[in-house]
Amino acid sequence: MQVSLVYAVYVVAAIGAMAVYAALPKAGRPSRRGVVPCLLIAAVCGLTLLLGRLLGESAQRAYFFLLSVLAVGGAVRVITHPRPVYSALFFVLVVLSTAGLMVLAGAEFLGAALVIVYAGAILVTYVFVIMLAQQSTPSAGGQFGSVLRYDRDAREPLAAVLAGFVLVGTVGGLVVSRNAAAAGGAATATGGAGNTLEIGRVLLTDFAVSVELAGVLLMVAMVGAIAIARKRLPRGDEPGQELAPGEAGRRATPF
Amino acid sequence: MLLGVVLFGLGVVGFLTRRNLIIMFLCTEVMFQGVLVNLVAMGLARGNLQGQAFGLFVLVIAAVEAGLGLAIVVMLYRRRGTLDAEGWRQMRG
Repeated sequence: MQVSLVYAVYVVAAIGAMAVYAALPKAGRPSRRGVVPCLLIAAVCGLTLLLGRLLGESAQRAYFFLLSVLAVGGAVRVITHPRPVYSALFFVLVVLSTAGLMVLAGAEFLGAALVIVYAGAILVTYVFVIMLAQQSTPSAGGQFGSVLRYDRDAREPLAAVLAGFVLVGTVGGLVVSRNAAAAGGAATATGGAGNTLEIGRVLLTDFAVSVELAGVLLMVAMVGAIAIARKRLPRGDEPGQELAPGEAGRRATPF
Repeated sequence: MLLGVVLFGLGVVGFLTRRNLIIMFLCTEVMFQGVLVNLVAMGLARGNLQGQAFGLFVLVIAAVEAGLGLAIVVMLYRRRGTLDAEGWRQMRG
């Protein structure tokens, strides 16, 4: 056991060295594009696995710290990045780290559902809508070369940041003080039969009405979204011609 | 649980600050993430699965809200031709 651990350390160090060497800027010809990220990812994965093996009991704490740093960093980049597509990509990072946190807490079903629903469906929809609703500024050439004006300056940043962090401070202080007082209950995950089975049982027995309501809600939302997006705006001069985005607004008169 | 609060707060800041309609909705999704983390942590602290079951419903509602919100955003974009939230300034009080 100890010998294999030593070899694992060597392997991870070698991969890390290769990754860093490939990533460093060199005066000569650059390496191929795909090699560097793969090596970096392999090195990071190896490092995390190694950390888990080494720390043993306190691996949970290390993983929690790592995942929460990733989640908070990703969230900060979501709200501050000027380009919408990068915000969506950082949101994928946030979703994945949150899913990891849930798996860490024993809620594997919720973690998997989060990845499938959020990162799979909702984010793909977001990226599609971002791509479809792009517009180019008149001065710069093309839409991907410039950052739009309303993306660049935030709206009243000082007041918003103050409000947000006063919220975080008060609620966080409350949470921390209560946690310290309650002296943390036993964090026992209901192992045994597996988390998915347990959640399924609880959902169908205790929360059956809520499940039905959720189904109805989903159907209503689907019908509503189709109804909203189908509505055609007032036509142009020829029948059957739909106006370009914005034309309807310019021609409309306020009631 | 502090992490959930921090995520929620960051989402609030982003929502109030950005002007791009789509990014505003993305920040509400960040808020949902914070809430989910909080719920799971509370379920863990209590020892039962109620936090996770409720978290599943929150996930459903978040998906629904994202879909409907994006449909509304698409309609708003078609009407005004811009994704700027300031374009709808006349709706303010």
